[in-house]
Amino acid sequence: MAAVKETIDAVAALEKYAHGFTSDIEQEFAPRGLNADIVRFISEKKGEPEWMLEWRLAAYERWLAMEEPTWAAVKYEPVDYQDLFYYAAPKQKEGPKSLDEVDPEILEIYKKLGIPLKEQEVLAGVQGAPRVAVDAVFDSVSVVTTFKEELAKVGVIFMPISEALREYPELVRQYLGSVVPVSDNYFAALNSAVFSDGSFVYIPPGVRCPMELSTYFRINASQTGQFERTLIIADKGSYVSYLEGCTAPMRDENQLHAAVVEIVALDDAEVKYSTVQNWYPGDAEGKGGIYNFVTKRADCRGDRSKVSWTQVETGSAVTWKYPSCILKGDDSSGEFYSIAITNGHQQADTGTKMIHLGKNTKSRIIAKAVSAGKSDSTYRGLVSVHPKATGVRNFTQCDSLLIGKECGSHTIPYIEARNGSAQLEHEATTTRLSDDQLFYAQQRGLSQEEAVALLVNGFVRDVMQKLPMEFAVEAQKLVAISLEGSVG
Amino acid sequence: MSAAFNIDLTDAESFPSRRNEAWKYSDLKRWLREAPQPSPTAAVGAPGPFYDLGGDAIVFANGRAVGVTDFIASGEQTLRLRYISDAVGTGHSAGARVAVRAGAKLLLLETHEGAGSAYVAHNTLELDVAAGAEVTRVVLVEEPEDAISVSEAHVKVEAGGVYRQTIIATGAKLQRIETRLSHFAQGAHVQADGLYLLNGSRHTDLTSVVRHMEHDGTTSQLIKGVARDTARGVFQGKIVVERGADGTDARMGHHALIASERAEIDAKPELIIYADDVQCAHGNTVGTLDESALFYMEQRGIPAEEARALLTQAFLIEVIDRIEHEGAREVAREWLTARL
Amino acid sequence: MLKINNLHVSVGDKPILKGLTLDVPAGEVHAIMGPNGAGKSTLGYALSGRPGYEATEGSVEWAGEDLLALEPAERAAKGVFLSFQYPIEIPGVPALTFVRTALNAQKRARGEEEVAAPAFLKLVREASKALKMDFDMLKRPLNVGFSGGEKKRMEILQMALLEPSLLILDETDSGLDIDALRIVSEGVNALRRPDRAMLVITHYQRLLDYIKPDRVHVLAGGRIVASGGPELALQLEAEGYDKYLPPVLEGAA
Repeated sequence: MAAVKETIDAVAALEKYAHGFTSDIEQEFAPRGLNADIVRFISEKKGEPEWMLEWRLAAYERWLAMEEPTWAAVKYEPVDYQDLFYYAAPKQKEGPKSLDEVDPEILEIYKKLGIPLKEQEVLAGVQGAPRVAVDAVFDSVSVVTTFKEELAKVGVIFMPISEALREYPELVRQYLGSVVPVSDNYFAALNSAVFSDGSFVYIPPGVRCPMELSTYFRINASQTGQFERTLIIADKGSYVSYLEGCTAPMRDENQLHAAVVEIVALDDAEVKYSTVQNWYPGDAEGKGGIYNFVTKRADCRGDRSKVSWTQVETGSAVTWKYPSCILKGDDSSGEFYSIAITNGHQQADTGTKMIHLGKNTKSRIIAKAVSAGKSDSTYRGLVSVHPKATGVRNFTQCDSLLIGKECGSHTIPYIEARNGSAQLEHEATTTRLSDDQLFYAQQRGLSQEEAVALLVNGFVRDVMQKLPMEFAVEAQKLVAISLEGSVG
Repeated sequence: MSAAFNIDLTDAESFPSRRNEAWKYSDLKRWLREAPQPSPTAAVGAPGPFYDLGGDAIVFANGRAVGVTDFIASGEQTLRLRYISDAVGTGHSAGARVAVRAGAKLLLLETHEGAGSAYVAHNTLELDVAAGAEVTRVVLVEEPEDAISVSEAHVKVEAGGVYRQTIIATGAKLQRIETRLSHFAQGAHVQADGLYLLNGSRHTDLTSVVRHMEHDGTTSQLIKGVARDTARGVFQGKIVVERGADGTDARMGHHALIASERAEIDAKPELIIYADDVQCAHGNTVGTLDESALFYMEQRGIPAEEARALLTQAFLIEVIDRIEHEGAREVAREWLTARL
Repeated sequence: MLKINNLHVSVGDKPILKGLTLDVPAGEVHAIMGPNGAGKSTLGYALSGRPGYEATEGSVEWAGEDLLALEPAERAAKGVFLSFQYPIEIPGVPALTFVRTALNAQKRARGEEEVAAPAFLKLVREASKALKMDFDMLKRPLNVGFSGGEKKRMEILQMALLEPSLLILDETDSGLDIDALRIVSEGVNALRRPDRAMLVITHYQRLLDYIKPDRVHVLAGGRIVASGGPELALQLEAEGYDKYLPPVLEGAA
């Protein structure tokens, strides 16, 4: 019952949004608004090659011609794209060479967030504790990446994408935009034009990455959009587990986060991508919070490749996110495990697409949604089987739990089968938190909030187990915190 | 977005395309670019599949009513509603209204009897089921392979009303059979079943929107389908539970077989829930005939084709078995068996 | 009557039977015994023509016909009956309908007259009585919700009604308690006839106490590695299959 204890402790010990502090860091901004000059400004700041600038400008042109999507079941105040800052970076002369050169204030922030950036601190920790290499992205730039040297010894490249553009331009050029094309959607086009940083990962053939890789995103600056870009390439027969975490200060305004994550898995490669999304969700009245408009997609390009997405979505005012798999290689497989918890006025429209193109491709989707307060949660998913994809298998399960009379929970799956040998199975349920179970737990001495946390953790357990250990502990705490005040 | 499309066959502007989310899988505009010329009059020929079950009749021939278009049921009655199409390349619309009085019981036997070729038919039915009334509606749809048809039923069920429907469709060039149903008051019980059996390049689209507006309603939906050759089966089922419709119990299942390499099944089973005291579930499966069952049957001497037909029938028959009225059930069973 | 010569069968890319040779004369019962994974079930599937079990070499002659050239249903009409180790459940098809459809399909294929419903029902009633089966069970979908023992009895019932001439019993004793085993065995023994050949595939000797074989063959590594009289089965029961396992496999099982 360690999880129960964790949950109870978490409820007792933590504030509603523990990461909501702001920090005064001296920063450098691009001029407010968006035009071709801003795109040039960002590209120049990063010292990018000429082709990259052209790529960005082309994306910007595309974006201008596109319209913001309206099909998702979310409502939000329109974003004034000309009123945002597209670049904010802590002031410093050059990119930091070592931890000693990073602004101590920033190190302090990550310390407060519980993200260890000093390798020796990680090493000095509990004996046998897993080591995690971290790329810390602060607003628009990566401030530090740990364990780079050790990873380099086995040929793993893990660095800010801005750095990779300078050091491995050909590798980046080969894969960037090959999974999520520039014109894929409105937010992806915007990201392609203005992304400022993010992580780049390359795992060479046959290498099992010796530690988990992690990127920690922090939005700090006000009125600033964060547009990060992550590119993960798993070469033949390699394996990597990647974690992503994120927080933002509590601010009255809505802040835009429009990220793009691209994953390429070649023959026999396996990538596990785990996210705990804890952006600021806004206050109890629905004021403020992050607009989380994210495009995440994996291309299982190689035969027998495998990509697994696991996400715990507790934050953001509005979430629009569908981590997907294009199952191109024969015998490749894709997985999507999701927990989406909404409370207050949060809205989440999330799910996945499994596009079966290759023979004997398999996919598995487990999505758990918990809605409380006045929130709205939608699972939206697509399983599609193309005419040449024989022997396809899919299993999908979507379960929704409602807590309270004023929330909503929706399930919108699309199933498109164009091959006679496909076997597709989809199940969905919607229920409310059981009064009997709640009472039972309370009779045994749990407070109402503890009982809710306990039952909800039980409801999402299947997915929780897919997370790496240390992430799962954090996620369980988040479940408890996210649902505070949801009953009664 | 989710409101019904007001299709008017005389106005091409009113035809939805796949850009309209609700018509994503049935692109009417693609097949029907211009408004068709109006169909000429047609004769009512054969008596129709349900003739032996008797009762009153509303009959449309190429959209023209042969007698009444409206019907009010009281006591215990049977009504045959026949949409007859016999036209070549022209279009026609028909609309019927049926009201079932409180406590009355109606057996509504609807047939879409198509002959000729390449016609366009648009049929609408408005059906009000008053408090405590009970309606069983069985719909048989048979049309030429190159016809286009859109049928809409708007059904309102009042407190404690019982409404059961079973739609049996064999497709056309584009065939859309849409049911929009409201649990208008508390404690209504709805069964919204259907099956489709498609050959050649036929297309059918069974779309339903069931709206729970008041508490303690139940909905049970079982749809089964088989697509052969290059046919395409579409199921879009939406169950909406509005704020305050507590005690709702809604279950939806769609199960389809793709019986050839090039057939297609598209499904979109939706749950839109705004009340918390609910039990809602949907299940959707798409697959092929069980290979081991096929081999087992062949091992016992049943030739492959016969084994397939037997397994297909066994798969579909569950929907027929759920038809409450025995006479209607047997007609439906024979009708289906003859088309396997 | 049944002549299997140098039969090689692959499942996918994997060779399972590697040169199996076996003769079963009419009127005889031959037991095929062997360790797990030896290819026993594969032999049953190959003889009955299950898709995916590809004969890559060799021949199977049955009553003068090239069995391998026929479709599964054609083989059935020629008298080949495989009693499945795990009989298949077929929802929506009542057992009675199934058996009658099968019987008439076979008769049609042989150019015989079909059996009318009343005569068929009479046949079924008698056969089910002999097997101590509840007739009402036959109105239920085939094998759906049946216990292991009921499924095996259903197989023997079909065997009795379809009157095959080559009977292949694949692990018929698995999942049966002692009473069920006796009933099923009696049913099988009642079908022994001078013009019928029977192939009893089993891992354990137990079944052979009830169905007495004329010959016993050991199948290991995809081939018949030993043949003998009924005493061979007892010897296997006492000594196990170890000496027939190729050395490379030792420890792997």
